Amino acid sequence: MDMKEKMPITPVTPVPTPSAAIAAEAHEEGPSTVQAHQPEPSKLRSGSAAPAIEVSQEASAGPQVDTGRDPKMSANDVSVFYGEKQALKDVSIRIYDDLVTAFIGPSGCGKSTFLRCLNRMNDTIPSARVSGRIELDGQDITSPAMDVVQLRARVGMVFQKPNPFPKSIYENVAYGPRIHGLSSSKSELEGIVEKSLKRAGLWEEVKDRLHESGTALSGGQQQRLCIARAIAVDPEVILMDEPCSALDPIATAKIEELIHELRGRYAIAIVTHNMQQAARVSQRTAFFHLGELVEYGKTSELFTIPRQQRTQDYITGRYG
Amino acid sequence: MNSIAAVATVTRWTGEAMQNRLRRRYRSERLFKLLGLLAVGVSLAFLAFLLVTMIWRGAGGLTLDFLKASDSTDPAMAGVWGALKGSFLTIIVTMVLAFPVGVLSAIYLEEFASRNRWTDLIEVSINNLAAVPSIIFGLLGLAVFLNFMHLPRSAALVGGLTLALMTMPVIVIAGRNAITSVPPSIREAALGVGASKMQVVFHHVLPLALPGILTGTIIGMARALGETAPLLMIGMRAFVATPPGGISDPATVLPVQIFLWSDEVDRGFVEKTSAAIIVLLLFMLLMNGLAIYLRNRFERRW
Repeated sequence: MDMKEKMPITPVTPVPTPSAAIAAEAHEEGPSTVQAHQPEPSKLRSGSAAPAIEVSQEASAGPQVDTGRDPKMSANDVSVFYGEKQALKDVSIRIYDDLVTAFIGPSGCGKSTFLRCLNRMNDTIPSARVSGRIELDGQDITSPAMDVVQLRARVGMVFQKPNPFPKSIYENVAYGPRIHGLSSSKSELEGIVEKSLKRAGLWEEVKDRLHESGTALSGGQQQRLCIARAIAVDPEVILMDEPCSALDPIATAKIEELIHELRGRYAIAIVTHNMQQAARVSQRTAFFHLGELVEYGKTSELFTIPRQQRTQDYITGRYG
Repeated sequence: MNSIAAVATVTRWTGEAMQNRLRRRYRSERLFKLLGLLAVGVSLAFLAFLLVTMIWRGAGGLTLDFLKASDSTDPAMAGVWGALKGSFLTIIVTMVLAFPVGVLSAIYLEEFASRNRWTDLIEVSINNLAAVPSIIFGLLGLAVFLNFMHLPRSAALVGGLTLALMTMPVIVIAGRNAITSVPPSIREAALGVGASKMQVVFHHVLPLALPGILTGTIIGMARALGETAPLLMIGMRAFVATPPGGISDPATVLPVQIFLWSDEVDRGFVEKTSAAIIVLLLFMLLMNGLAIYLRNRFERRW
């Protein structure tokens, strides 16, 4: 079997910070990326017209971004403790449909910890304690009444290291829909698998070997398989925890391209320690340092005219 | 770099001291290989000695009649069928009890129980239990199953129960190790698509841990199969001339039969003892082979 990435080397905008931010802004305002990948009309979410509205709001919004718009997820004064150690201090952030929100910051700044709060993945760490309020469509997800299984189906996650199940490619994607009973027949399930793999940009490469092991794919393909697995359960939000840190530049470019294409359908939050990547893929950026949220704003503004000295120092490479 | 430094570098690698160092290194490597080979050789030599002696002494006694007959006071009539059947029934009882209970305990302790003083205590107890001498389990079986519960004496049922108590900690320990060695990324992946804890364990963790669990079970079972002491305590050393019809009939097992025959004064039993040992070894080989086959099958499932 061919283990190599079969893809043309598409040039992605690997540009230094300021121009990258402008490029990102251009992506944000031009709905071209959304249209380039034709979604079937029924799948479009109610906020499909949002980019256009958003532009007009941004023009007048000033430093206070996204006012008057209902966030997909919002965190209010979220603190996380690992035992005695406080990993996150009073973080408040909003995440919107149709926007990619990037969390940047040096290692150990709490950005991954925060991301894992959004689908309660921190529940799996016995010593972790989370305080504050996190809402998904206005519903508090930190309350014990929240069904965590349902939450994780609505808020999908892609991890740092590609982690396909040691099962076939088909089984990897079909697993989520199957446990949630999203299909009533075998052919419907096959349809979901095909659609998900197409959206993850992997279909052409794997359609002839769906029953081979998912772990036999290359790293980049594995990560796209994981993305396909996440979108197969039709989530509303996708969390990505440094999805490209284990990948080579070509595979990284493919994932970034994919993030652009997925943006119109899902609210996306991505953790990255690569500032260029944040500038390329996101429209909102949050800068974390030492467990605090230092600055949050439009990516274009945060990278060009940061309001905080610490942000300035970080993005110019003075530390981190 | 100037020429003096270059010369110094060259002499550093070709000089007397360095050459001695290298020689010492190679010498210690050769020595280690030799020691390892010797260690393997010693254990293999003893095994070969056992096999050769047994086959030389016992092969003549390994007839069809020997396999079909049961114990008898007359060495010419004595056979191994009763003991073989007893061993088989006992090991079935052991497996049916110890495997599910051991695996469930391992899953519960590893995946569901919260980490606190009680689970620490349980962990230490289980580790100690695995190291308890088997004769103690025999006494326990005698006290609980025979004197308290009044189960039939010297039956495969009681033997299996006693051996299950002995084997369970081994399975729990092996099971826990196998479960911990499943990478956490697989658990996270399953949780991330909204699988419940149960689904994570039964769809992902358990299939991946199963080969390791089976290996532990095989080791435990092999030990149980060769066990003699606890079975003596619960009366399985009785002279049983008819093969057991079920798990509650009086029975004996292969290792006990070997023990009994080796104690006989009659010279005719020497051959019988060796032949029985060959049968026991073959029986174990068969079981291990089956287990390895099963393990490989499960490993290739995806």
